[in-house]
Amino acid sequence: MPLAHTPSTVPVTVDDAKCIADKGCTVCVDVCPLDVLRISDLTGKAYMKYDECWYCMPCETDCPTGAVSVQIPYLLR
Amino acid sequence: MAVTDPFEAFGDVADLALDLADPDAAVRRVAVLALAETADPEAIPHLGGAVADPDAGVRRQAAEALGGFDGPGTAAALCAALADADPGVAAAAAESLTELKDPAAGAPILPLVAHADAFVRAAALRGLRNLRLATSLGPAVGALGDPEPAVRAQAVGVIAYLKSEEALPSLIGATRDPDAEVRRAAVGALAFSRHGHAGEAIGHALHDDDWGVREIAADALGRAGQGTGSAALIVALDDPYWQVRQKALRSLGQLKAHEAVPALLLVLADARPTLRKEAAAALGEIAAPQARAGLAAIADDTDPDVRKTARWALDRLPA
Repeated sequence: MPLAHTPSTVPVTVDDAKCIADKGCTVCVDVCPLDVLRISDLTGKAYMKYDECWYCMPCETDCPTGAVSVQIPYLLR
Repeated sequence: MAVTDPFEAFGDVADLALDLADPDAAVRRVAVLALAETADPEAIPHLGGAVADPDAGVRRQAAEALGGFDGPGTAAALCAALADADPGVAAAAAESLTELKDPAAGAPILPLVAHADAFVRAAALRGLRNLRLATSLGPAVGALGDPEPAVRAQAVGVIAYLKSEEALPSLIGATRDPDAEVRRAAVGALAFSRHGHAGEAIGHALHDDDWGVREIAADALGRAGQGTGSAALIVALDDPYWQVRQKALRSLGQLKAHEAVPALLLVLADARPTLRKEAAAALGEIAAPQARAGLAAIADDTDPDVRKTARWALDRLPA
């Protein structure tokens, strides 16, 4: 899978201010069926490591703080 | 490379619960998630404690997490959360209450049917519905006189799930409620009964001012299986709302109402494909030989669903 080099353009974006992965939360990483989300060693927050997404949405809906948002492409809406 | 053990233990409940005392609300929230993940009933008292956390986010998380557990302890914690000052916490608790299946969970919920807050009363009744407790029939019948329509609608739901003939007069009374939502729930609930009075009440609801009530009545008459309703359903084929006409067509098919065949044949020429399809399906269910010419005429309809249903119906006609 291609690495996501520019976090601002990937489908799954994480609001660092709301993300509590640095406190031990791994919900979005656990629910992703493609296993493309990771916790950053640098910031302790979740991010999209691989630019691949099924737009299945559990990462967004299960996030306890509403930090994850999935941008669904216009043609898939 | 480190190898991850897929059967790694989620952690001891008592150890995980220690984080519920952490000064950081985010840590407490993660602890709630971890406790929920264990699915261990020993986590219930800890999650019940988290429902009283000073942080609303932690309280909401705990109320959501309790939806994965059952029993009177869970019910008691959720009942406490129903009156939470934060609407998000109260809504999460109300949702989790509907997940309870253990009949013993009814004991802490039942007294809330008389709570001062209408939201709590409605949520308690919604929680009681799935439990199907005979003891909830009396309080539910009493709640039909509640000043709040949302509470009365939930009370109808409790009675409907119990399918008690004893409560039939109360349900019939609710079909004349001033609120349309309550009338819709009551009319739909009457479909379980084979009693003539229930059929009469559903038939009467076909003349309701609210088209949603008429739609449910048209559907309920078919499910109730009372052939006496077919005359009222034929009249409903002239309803100004196509949704009502569609349900009436379906019900006439379910009732195998031979007397409706001339009226159904007229609907085969309706401008709406969905009604032409329902009419064809009803004629197929009834399998009346006099429908052959009408069905053959729409076997090449412009709509593929109509064509498919017409051909299916033709196959069902006696040779």
